[in-house]
Amino acid sequence: MMNALTIAGKQLSSRLFLGTGRYPNPFVQNKAIEASGAEVLTFAIRRVNLSAPDEDAILQHIEKPFQYLPNTSGATSAEEAIRIARLAKASGLSDWIKIEVSQDEKTLIPDPIETLKATEILAKEGFVVLPYTSDDPALCYRLQEAGAAAVMPGGSPIGSGLGILNPYNIELITEQLTVPVIVDAGLGSATDVTQAMELGADGVLLNTAIAKARNPVMMAEAVKYAIHAGRLSYMAGRIPKKKYATASSPVQN
Amino acid sequence: MRLQINGEEHDLNVVTLKDVVKHFGLQEGLVVTEVDEVIIDRSDWNDMKVHDGMNIELVHFVGGG
Repeated sequence: MMNALTIAGKQLSSRLFLGTGRYPNPFVQNKAIEASGAEVLTFAIRRVNLSAPDEDAILQHIEKPFQYLPNTSGATSAEEAIRIARLAKASGLSDWIKIEVSQDEKTLIPDPIETLKATEILAKEGFVVLPYTSDDPALCYRLQEAGAAAVMPGGSPIGSGLGILNPYNIELITEQLTVPVIVDAGLGSATDVTQAMELGADGVLLNTAIAKARNPVMMAEAVKYAIHAGRLSYMAGRIPKKKYATASSPVQN
Repeated sequence: MRLQINGEEHDLNVVTLKDVVKHFGLQEGLVVTEVDEVIIDRSDWNDMKVHDGMNIELVHFVGGG
């Protein structure tokens, strides 16, 4: 029932994809990663700060092997995303890529046209492509057809903690797609994670909700249980909603 | 030799791209290089001679979501 999630032939023991940005320090980050059980970690690609090369370097702090999912954050066009993806692959660390293209700094809402273009080209090049996209069912379908290994609709803007603004759309997406659906962005707590899983998501991607929680390690553990609870609830099948009461106790004698 | 590295001007005494990576004390397994907008694989760093005015990008993985 809790059958494993498989993406591009790789079987994953956890349905949580965890971001590596904004933790208080590497020690807390490692503890949170451990508590979360996540096997897929996301990263950004940036210029080395030549006056302090070790300052931002992250991999030296990561203790065991994970599936790395570098992102193309900072890209404003398909061309920029493709360049970042190729740089990430040249690291020799991963051929998975999270496409993230945005032209709006305020909302970071993904650009649909550029995201689709980049997905198509990189999938043809042999990348395992996981596009971060808005929660548009038609667009998510087009991304699947363009070769995405999984599609990652946002619940709400990145880092906003607003949760799932359009559960109807997320449910349609999970119903319609045959590739895994990972709800990415905007999830703020264990409640949001459970809701995503109950809507049929195959997994969730979180960063800020854990990194910026008052206690990141404890929140990482809460999210692990939320995924489990939400997945079980989805598989069990919820009751239909009704307007009036149905007595749970016998009505006579 | 004057090189443009990560958008800054640097005057280095180097011959190959590998020397550039070494000069900054970077962990070789974690750095990706681009020279004049072409990605240079790690296995080619030693053969890649650098010249005055070349535009070099050194990038790596950082924390992100």
